[in-house]
Amino acid sequence: MQYDVSLTVTYRFDNAASASRNIVRLMPADLIGEQRLVAGSLAVTPTPNERTTRSDFFRNNAVEVAFHEAHRDITFTVTSRVHRYERGRRLDMSPSVARLAEDIAAYRRLDPGSPHHFVGASRRVPIVGEMSEYGRTHTKDARSVLEAVEAIGKAINRDWTYQPGATTVETPMMEAFKARRGVCQDFSHIMIAALRGIGIPAGYVSGCLRTDPPPGQPRLAGADAMHAWVCAWCGPDVGWVDYDPTNAVLAGADHIVIGRGRDYSDVAPVRGVMRTSGNHWSHHAVDVVPVTSETARPDPAA
Amino acid sequence: MALTGSDEDAEDAVARLLSSYETSTAVPDELLEADGSIRPAWRGFIEAVAGMSEDEFRARQMRGDQYLRDAGVYYRQYGTPDTSERDWPLSHVPVIIDEDEWNAIGEGLIQRAELLEKIIADIYGPNRLVERGHLPPAMLAQNPEWLRPLSGVVPRGGHYLHFVAFDIGRGPQGQWWVLGDRTQAPSGAGFALENRIATTRVYKDHFARANVHRLAGFFRGFRDALINLRDSELSRVGILTPGPLNDTYFEHAYIARYLGFMLLEGDDLTVVDGRLMVRTVAGLQPVSVLWRRLDSIWADPLELEETSAIGTPGMLGAVRSGGVTLVNALGSGVLETRALLAFMPRLAEELLGEPLSIPNIATWWCGQAEERDYVKANAHRMTIGNAYATRLLFDFDDVSAPPATDPAARLALSKWIDRNAEQLVAQETVTLSTTPALDADGKLVPRPMSLRVFLARTREGWTIMPGGFARIGPAGDAVTLTMQNGGSAADVWVVSKSEVPAESMLFPASGPYLRQQQSMLPSRAADSLYWLGRYVERAEYRVRLLRAHHVRVAESIAEDTPLLRRSAEYLTWLGSDPHQPIPAGVRETLESAARAASNVRDRFSVDGWAALDELAKTVHRLNARPSFGDDTARALSLILRSLSGFTGLVHDNMYRFIGWRFMSIGRSLERAMSLTGLLAQFADEDAPDGALDLAVEVADSEMSHRRRYAVATNRATVVDLLALDPLNPRSVIYQLNEIWSHLGTLPGGETHRQLSPLQRAALQTRTDVAVQTPERFDSSALVRLEGDLSAISDLLADAYFR
Repeated sequence: MQYDVSLTVTYRFDNAASASRNIVRLMPADLIGEQRLVAGSLAVTPTPNERTTRSDFFRNNAVEVAFHEAHRDITFTVTSRVHRYERGRRLDMSPSVARLAEDIAAYRRLDPGSPHHFVGASRRVPIVGEMSEYGRTHTKDARSVLEAVEAIGKAINRDWTYQPGATTVETPMMEAFKARRGVCQDFSHIMIAALRGIGIPAGYVSGCLRTDPPPGQPRLAGADAMHAWVCAWCGPDVGWVDYDPTNAVLAGADHIVIGRGRDYSDVAPVRGVMRTSGNHWSHHAVDVVPVTSETARPDPAA
Repeated sequence: MALTGSDEDAEDAVARLLSSYETSTAVPDELLEADGSIRPAWRGFIEAVAGMSEDEFRARQMRGDQYLRDAGVYYRQYGTPDTSERDWPLSHVPVIIDEDEWNAIGEGLIQRAELLEKIIADIYGPNRLVERGHLPPAMLAQNPEWLRPLSGVVPRGGHYLHFVAFDIGRGPQGQWWVLGDRTQAPSGAGFALENRIATTRVYKDHFARANVHRLAGFFRGFRDALINLRDSELSRVGILTPGPLNDTYFEHAYIARYLGFMLLEGDDLTVVDGRLMVRTVAGLQPVSVLWRRLDSIWADPLELEETSAIGTPGMLGAVRSGGVTLVNALGSGVLETRALLAFMPRLAEELLGEPLSIPNIATWWCGQAEERDYVKANAHRMTIGNAYATRLLFDFDDVSAPPATDPAARLALSKWIDRNAEQLVAQETVTLSTTPALDADGKLVPRPMSLRVFLARTREGWTIMPGGFARIGPAGDAVTLTMQNGGSAADVWVVSKSEVPAESMLFPASGPYLRQQQSMLPSRAADSLYWLGRYVERAEYRVRLLRAHHVRVAESIAEDTPLLRRSAEYLTWLGSDPHQPIPAGVRETLESAARAASNVRDRFSVDGWAALDELAKTVHRLNARPSFGDDTARALSLILRSLSGFTGLVHDNMYRFIGWRFMSIGRSLERAMSLTGLLAQFADEDAPDGALDLAVEVADSEMSHRRRYAVATNRATVVDLLALDPLNPRSVIYQLNEIWSHLGTLPGGETHRQLSPLQRAALQTRTDVAVQTPERFDSSALVRLEGDLSAISDLLADAYFR
């Protein structure tokens, strides 16, 4: 399925920021076999004094911009076309949860996809007894890692209430865990903690969802803003599997991946440091429109 | 051969000195051989001490302590409510090591430094050690000091490590062991220097002929190495500190002063197009080498710890683009990880093709099944702790295993190890050699010790500091060797059998004479100096006002005259309620001054510090002993004298570098403000009786008034003298003239250029006051002037402090 994906993030400051430096992770990813970035551009206004692009440790596209002058607002706009492949349900060849530790230990590399990065506590995901216990309770009957992932995801979706505005990006995971409500970021962090707590390597995926559902299907929660879900390592044969606990589905053709990391801190859409006093205010807008024969530009060769 | 009489006396004296010195048979002793004889390296020293009377020895120790106090050497104690500064705990007996043994230690540690360099190049590079099974991937992936954003970044110049330290100790068989590797930002080199200076004060005459290797050559070599790492002649070397609240800030300031490098905090720096720049009063200036005393994760909030307020956004970008060399490279803290010690023997074979010449203490990482089982079986003679911590294992919060006889406890321990396997490391409990220290009664007693040894990379390769510092445990217990836990620190003497060259940091006398360029002044330092000038002057003004008030309270019969009421109200409005012995407003102003001064510690002479310290002590003492009227006036005079001591030092002795200008501008501006306020309060049209005399007294201008006017005070003479007389240093116009001339010497203030907004404002204000007459200079004109003066302060901040 092809999509036109556009994202706009705007920041406005009460007092002009005297200088700032930001790292922007907003460009949809180019992932072999999963998703292809056909074309994409990031526009920044005002025009930054410095701008460099690189690929970060987890191979996310990271653009660093710096403003030397004072400014009152910044806007980042991504315009892109993405081809997302339907992966379909595969044969479950994942090992049992108990055997996974051996598979992890046998993995002797630290490449970005190595499960070793995704097992312990990370910046925003502590390993807490309660959460590991939650994970254990809901995977008693799981015969494989993949079943365990789906079981935990379904349980979280059932036990937590999706409520936009209930938390902010800075709300600690444990707070959302106790409040039993939150947004996609909280659902994902909670699921990551439960998975890691029982020994399943798990990471955070930032991305966005198709804005309007295909005819006859319900609209996915979280489609009008940036979205987040979870990836879990299911052994060497199956590899990484994406699961969206906010919607209790395996991530599929409607999930556009932007970044992968251990938790939100690794893939924050805009991470920045401003020299400013006073508050700031931000706004995100996301539009993911399927490219159909009507919307596609006519092929001049036809 | 028969002993002569004096030899016999000397032998008796040595025997007396050592009568209380009882060594254990379980561990070796640095001073005594196993048979009880004195080791040759120590003999001269012990004889020198034995030749002193008890009183003389004690007096000499006090001389050493006095030096440390005068130099203001302190370290910060964490954990106490006020994280207070503590006196440096010097152990007055040096640890003495023979040159030959030291050379062997040096060879072993250089081998280790080279091994560590190879390891770090691999773990931030191709990661072959992990791939080939020599390092478990989990040990890096779960290590908070393995910084992913630095993966694949090769430092400019190719080297990750430039300055490292090792904690070593001597084990039961007499062999040396490495207890820990210090690769992040090793502290202690500056303290080693201070220990050395203090210890030579104690043993002045003996030291001169004891053939002790000097330390200066080591520092000179490293300073030159840092200077050579710069990318151009125009860029600078800086020392990056977390700031005055760090436990070893004193040392950062000391080293900066000693080596002549700028002391910088993260906020002093900014990154422009991949280059690291320091914000100075002359704009942005390049820095291409940073000796960092800040732990890596705090260095850049953009890519590392996001909550860091002490880092520099974009620092990693500058490293990546080759714009700066960090000493040591960011991420080098990963080598300090305890768990790594478990793999060092094998890594030495793998990477160097030879065994470690100095082994490290036996260590087992519990993330491996075989090792874990061994730890469980032998837990009773091990200490178990966090695998990724970088402190020495026996520091604190580690688990000492329960006795082997308690099966329940052992089972619980075994389960705990299984559950946290990858997070745990076990180390053999070590007993360390003892060395002489003085107990509370001044007797020599054996105490456990470890050494911190420093190595620096120079163009000729690694060099070892011939000395270092020794940590001395407080009692016969090897497990409490940190100073945070009450131990002490001793100098380390490496003695030669022949004469050693005398060295110092000074350049050789030959060669052309070169006056060094004026050093750049970071904006933050300028800001601190400016406010130091203002606070000290502000304190002086308040103390003078208070004194004038109390003198009148003591003299007056009525308690409530209109003048007393006015001065009390004004003082209270200034936050200096005259009913308190030393009002809060005065104390707080002096505290602010001390804080401003501590931000620029590297720019102050030892005498300047002593004067500030004296001031704080005087205030503290007086505050504890309340007094009234005349007594208070006398007490306030004491404070004034201390304040004059400080300002006298600053204005007579301080080099007229640009920082001095900022301090002077601060002082002048504050004084102009105070005088303006004074005139508004006490020389207005309806001021009470005696107000004019009080104003003249507070402005310390009674003599001048008498000489100049030969009449009693009236409003015109007082306004003339305190506002308009350009020859009176306590007049507004005098201070405005001073400010004007200082501004001309600041960057961007050169003559024949367009006036800056700051200069324009200063010139305008000065002219407005210069053309005034006492008659026209009324309250509303004074109020306007107050506004103009604060506008100058704001413009100064805009131009130079951000």
